[in-house]
Amino acid sequence: MINLLQALIDGALVGLVYGLVAISFVVIYRGSKIINLAQGEVLVIGAFLLWTFTEGARNVGIDIPLPIALVLTLIACVIFGAVIERTVFRPLIGQSAFTIFMAGIALLILLRGLAQLIWGAQTRSAPAILPEGAIDLGPFLINTGLLIGAIFTIVLAQALHLFFTRARLGLRLAAVAENHTTALSLGISVRQAIAVSWITATVLAATAAVVLLSGSILSLEVAVIGFKALPIALLGGLESIRGALLAGLIIGIAEALASMYLDPITSGAASGLLPYVVMIGVLFIRPYGLFGWRRIERL
Amino acid sequence: MVRSFRCRAIGSLFLFWINGDLTMLTLANIDVVYDGVIQVLRSTNIEVRQGQMVVLLGANGAGKTTTLKAISALLHADQGAVTAGRITFEDRDITHADPTTIVKSGIVQVLEGRKVLEHLSVLQNLMVGAHLRKDRAGVREDLEKVYHYFPALPNLLHRTAGYLSGGEMQMVLIGRALMAQPKLLILDEPSMGLAPNLSQQLFRTIEQIKREEGLTVLLVEQNARSAIAQCDYGYIMEGGRIVLHGSRNELTSNQDVQEFYLGTSNAADRTSYRDVKHYRRRKRWLG
Repeated sequence: MINLLQALIDGALVGLVYGLVAISFVVIYRGSKIINLAQGEVLVIGAFLLWTFTEGARNVGIDIPLPIALVLTLIACVIFGAVIERTVFRPLIGQSAFTIFMAGIALLILLRGLAQLIWGAQTRSAPAILPEGAIDLGPFLINTGLLIGAIFTIVLAQALHLFFTRARLGLRLAAVAENHTTALSLGISVRQAIAVSWITATVLAATAAVVLLSGSILSLEVAVIGFKALPIALLGGLESIRGALLAGLIIGIAEALASMYLDPITSGAASGLLPYVVMIGVLFIRPYGLFGWRRIERL
Repeated sequence: MVRSFRCRAIGSLFLFWINGDLTMLTLANIDVVYDGVIQVLRSTNIEVRQGQMVVLLGANGAGKTTTLKAISALLHADQGAVTAGRITFEDRDITHADPTTIVKSGIVQVLEGRKVLEHLSVLQNLMVGAHLRKDRAGVREDLEKVYHYFPALPNLLHRTAGYLSGGEMQMVLIGRALMAQPKLLILDEPSMGLAPNLSQQLFRTIEQIKREEGLTVLLVEQNARSAIAQCDYGYIMEGGRIVLHGSRNELTSNQDVQEFYLGTSNAADRTSYRDVKHYRRRKRWLG
């Protein structure tokens, strides 16, 4: 019983942090109606950037204090997000979904190659930003890093939700998410809104990378997180920030249960497969997800 | 060459004649081309004076919506562009301005087809209208003003806009436009798909807003009777040109307008098809 609860807690925490990656999908989708397949690579590059400003700088003899390194990473991610939007997706505004899908795949391969070119293929230890170890809570052990990450995700999701429903800039982004022509007629710069979406999403992905990888292994393989978060974004609904959070929780717990009860029978395959099974199920039964925007049909 | 020169010369003569000191918006010899080949507007001239309600009438495809989109810089989204002529608003050239500048300078358009932001609440819809404004107190005041003109809205604030009825949506749309503090409000077929009594009520409210706020209104309507009854000045478009324009009285007394737009001519006297006037312009406009 205690084992079960422990697994559930771990699953929920990991799921919440994956929810943060899912939110980065959601933010891009709201702005530009694009599902960025390369989001996992974006996340890895975010992590590599942080590594560069901490360990990498230390290796060449420059010691950058951690807060400054974090700020530098943030700035680099803002630039990185703006460059992707500007060079790859802005020229494709108005093109068919298929074109954009292919561009996404191209970007994925390009970024993977670029990361290998710049940082090499070897695995590194990711900078430990969050405290390691675990908190003793009665019979349970809770990973401190994950706990902080999960709480951070919840706070951030709530903040983003308020931003999109109350703030002037957020409402602009919400209007762009609804309909580009209507947004234009209200004097909203759609281009600016899309650029802001990409930048926000890139920063979110990098943040998720920092939390998820803190103190563990950093390599190009980590990009698979992107594809693990995609089912979460779909389940929550591609327009809903808080939906992504709840979906992260659901998938995290489901994965924990699967790894406990199904993995022994399936030699460890079930928990890895589960998110994608959920994804296909969602696409069949409720394509707009739990809280996504259903197209309102009026008679 | 000669012909285009003549057009332009007459156009500027026209402007000279019509330009009072109260002119707010002027379209001078506007050409609009879609996709680089399809010409929709041909040398269109329109003038809107301060505090007037100006109505633009015409059949489907005459170029009314295109004219409005040319003013509010929304042609780009439809691959259209103004290829000739000048649009001035309060003595500033806005021919090639971007939509943000247009809204900032005080021109706000309500698009046709009830384009509410479907998944946002009514209150959010209204607040999006004020997104360029930084004066919180003024925004709150204007919100009260919108509630004053549309007393039904305060009860709907937290409803999802996409599930409102047509009449309620139209209130949200006009309210949202008012939140942007317009000087010139452009309405594209606000009564489309509304029940007759609702559309009458809507026209009354628009007229009330215009009167109380000193707003200038440019209106495109299919419902010619109500539109002409409310307007100060009217333009009639055909095939991308203005073919007739005049004050309310001039329009209502014009035989062609009576025949084609109001349907009130001596129909009872007709005894044979030969008497039925075919759809033909009475006089050609500066062809």
